Amino acid sequence: MKKYLPIVLTMLLAACICLSCKKDYPVDEDGLLITTRAECYVSSFELLGSDFVTVRVGAAVVDTTAQTIKVTVQFGTDLKNLYPQFTLASDCKLDPKITGKTDFSNLANPRVYTVISGNRQVRKPYAIFITVQPR
Amino acid sequence: MQRRYTFTNYPLLLAGSLLFIIGCKKQEYELPTAEKKLQNDVIKRTQGPNIVGQSIEFAYAMALSPGYGKLVSAEVEASIAGATGTYLENNSYYTNQGGVDVGVPIGQPSVTSGTKTKVMFTKDTSAATLRYFYLIPAEARGKTVSFKFSAISDDGEAVSYSMGPYTIAKMDMVRNLTVSNNNSAYISIADMAVYNAAAATTNAAKIDLVYLYRNITTSAFNHALVSPAADTLYLPGVTLPAGVNRSTKMIKVFNLQDYNLAQLQYGIYIDDLDFEQLNFASTPNFAINLKAEAGVWVETADGKYRAYIYINSVNSNGSAVISIKRLAL
Repeated sequence: MKKYLPIVLTMLLAACICLSCKKDYPVDEDGLLITTRAECYVSSFELLGSDFVTVRVGAAVVDTTAQTIKVTVQFGTDLKNLYPQFTLASDCKLDPKITGKTDFSNLANPRVYTVISGNRQVRKPYAIFITVQPR
Repeated sequence: MQRRYTFTNYPLLLAGSLLFIIGCKKQEYELPTAEKKLQNDVIKRTQGPNIVGQSIEFAYAMALSPGYGKLVSAEVEASIAGATGTYLENNSYYTNQGGVDVGVPIGQPSVTSGTKTKVMFTKDTSAATLRYFYLIPAEARGKTVSFKFSAISDDGEAVSYSMGPYTIAKMDMVRNLTVSNNNSAYISIADMAVYNAAAATTNAAKIDLVYLYRNITTSAFNHALVSPAADTLYLPGVTLPAGVNRSTKMIKVFNLQDYNLAQLQYGIYIDDLDFEQLNFASTPNFAINLKAEAGVWVETADGKYRAYIYINSVNSNGSAVISIKRLAL
């Protein structure tokens, strides 16, 4: 009996370790956690110029019902080289991803970014409408 | 037969521990004894890119034990002769109680002959640290420069210390140009100069930017650098001299206070590589609402030059002070 005691103890320890391991949450194709949250909205929006200084005139107006973001930018803003920044609801992500400078110069055809909820079930597209301040 | 462990090795273990404890002695610190022979050392005091027209500064220390001799001469040899103004200090400095560095002459003023700069000691001294200022000549642009520091004592002993090679930047620099509204408002990157309207007409083909200041209540225009060929929306009230019509690509930046241009506390240096890596695709030809400590990367219309224009200061009376670093592509 004494001979088998260490083996039995080791097996018990291994069993405890296996049972104590919690089940991981799933991750999506970007390696981001998929949670249970269904909230899907933009809470604020920022627009920076090539010098990383804001080009907004006042806060951007985010309409979560109409799914639009309206922002007025300073006279003389270079619309072809802007850095947009979104603040989203918890666990949400954005599509397409923002990888660097973005061209917003086509004012007639506003850019659309889709917000995807934490559970990846809800998708809401937001259109960015830019108005340039007159001189 | 079962082996039983009854701590027969216990006394041995105790003896070993005691030996270890007694054997570890704290070593008292002893001041190192200076070698009697002549020795030397050099440090480079300047940082950042080595720009033509600026100087590279070194501190050359040489010494031998007191009573074993005195210093006779110190010499620096550069691989490329320095520009006029290159010298080796003939003063030895100490800091007085007021915190001021006081120079004590210990030798004759240095004599530069070709690539060599030499100081002959006139005071009996066995140790000295002399500063060497190498004024970078135009011939060294884009090349590397090395230095050999050497000292001789009165018994004929000689030592030397080599420094480098150091790369000399290809870029140029000009500091503190004043631009003002409707006056000295025409900037030439090729000439690294600012012109008024009359001179701009003579140099029309070289004018890359116009400086203007507008206090407009409906938008933030303020201080601006605008290409002559930009939309007239960005040149309100400006009548350009004849022939001034170039379009210069520009990238507006902030928080890039290059140390050579700004002379502020920031340890940022723009070097040749930074100009080479710029991407001017789809950039505008104007930059308005510029503030102090802002800057603009520019590329001239003919693609010959790239430059960084730093705004040292602005004045609400319609003037500004700018400094420029430029690389010929």
